[in-house]
Amino acid sequence: MLFLLRIIIGSVFIVSGLGKLLAPYQNFLYVIQAYQLLPSWAEVLVAQIFPWLELIVGVFVALGLWTSWSLRGAGILFGIFVVVVGQALIRGLPLENCGCFGEWIHLKPQTVIVMDSLSLLLTLVLLRNLSSVQKFSLDSRFDQT
Amino acid sequence: MNKLQSTLVIVLILIGAIVGAKIYFAPKKVEINLQSARAKGNPQARVKIVEFIDFQCPACAYGINFLKTFFEQHPNDLYLQVRYFPLTNMHHHAMLSALYSECASRQGKFWELDDLMIPQQSQWAQLINPDPVFQSMAGQVGMDMTQLNACLASDDARKVINDEKSLGQSMGISSTPTYFINGKMVVGAKSMQDELKNYFPN
Repeated sequence: MLFLLRIIIGSVFIVSGLGKLLAPYQNFLYVIQAYQLLPSWAEVLVAQIFPWLELIVGVFVALGLWTSWSLRGAGILFGIFVVVVGQALIRGLPLENCGCFGEWIHLKPQTVIVMDSLSLLLTLVLLRNLSSVQKFSLDSRFDQT
Repeated sequence: MNKLQSTLVIVLILIGAIVGAKIYFAPKKVEINLQSARAKGNPQARVKIVEFIDFQCPACAYGINFLKTFFEQHPNDLYLQVRYFPLTNMHHHAMLSALYSECASRQGKFWELDDLMIPQQSQWAQLINPDPVFQSMAGQVGMDMTQLNACLASDDARKVINDEKSLGQSMGISSTPTYFINGKMVVGAKSMQDELKNYFPN
């Protein structure tokens, strides 16, 4: 069943990346600015690059391609989300919506930090059970040949 | 095809699909209506701003206050037009405040009401029913109350607001304040300030 969990985690990143990529990048830039964490030039850079990372990591995890590395990437992304949302909550920033899924899904930061922490733990579980995770993956097909 | 080649193909397909979708679903471009009752400044100004606003959004209030000061410093170089984008799922009084603004604009009192409504946003936003406060503001700016109440009761004002919001959504807007500065989309007061610095470096 762990391969199903792998596909679900990959799908979360795919939805998250697509939601941001299909909208003007300025909308995600506005979300990043609300976290008050980066200088202006870095905010623009992150707004343009981060959704691509989410999409590519998501597709690789879902397909089971370079599974070990893509799951590590997913773990790092979840870790970044936990830190960024957590610091916003500690500082009491007035965030109405985490902005994690573009405009498709609206979640409160308090909800999303629990979801991200849980997802990070599940990703670590997947990384410890790579052989089961790689069932129905592209990796397993390539490894056979 | 080996694993590396397959990886490259998958990445290229993803990039192609996203770029294609962005071109196919490209947002509409903003058009400025120089006859709007919700505009101020010089219609020939070198910097024309269209702002999509939710009157209950704190960042919109900050942006409007900033632009008000900016107008005083550059009276001939700016033109601002306001359009409605009430975030009704987030702000309970977004539609009512937009309705009062639309009805004020029909009496040529949009900016006068705006000057009262925006600075007091944090107070009326907390009320269960801010209607009496808006009525009082309308009286203070000298609006005809019979006309105002007829306007509030009509579907027409609401339709104008909803149509502008739909237009905004077709332009890729999802948050407020969203500005189009000489056609370039910027979201949020911080980006608006950064963009204006390109036109007014000092």
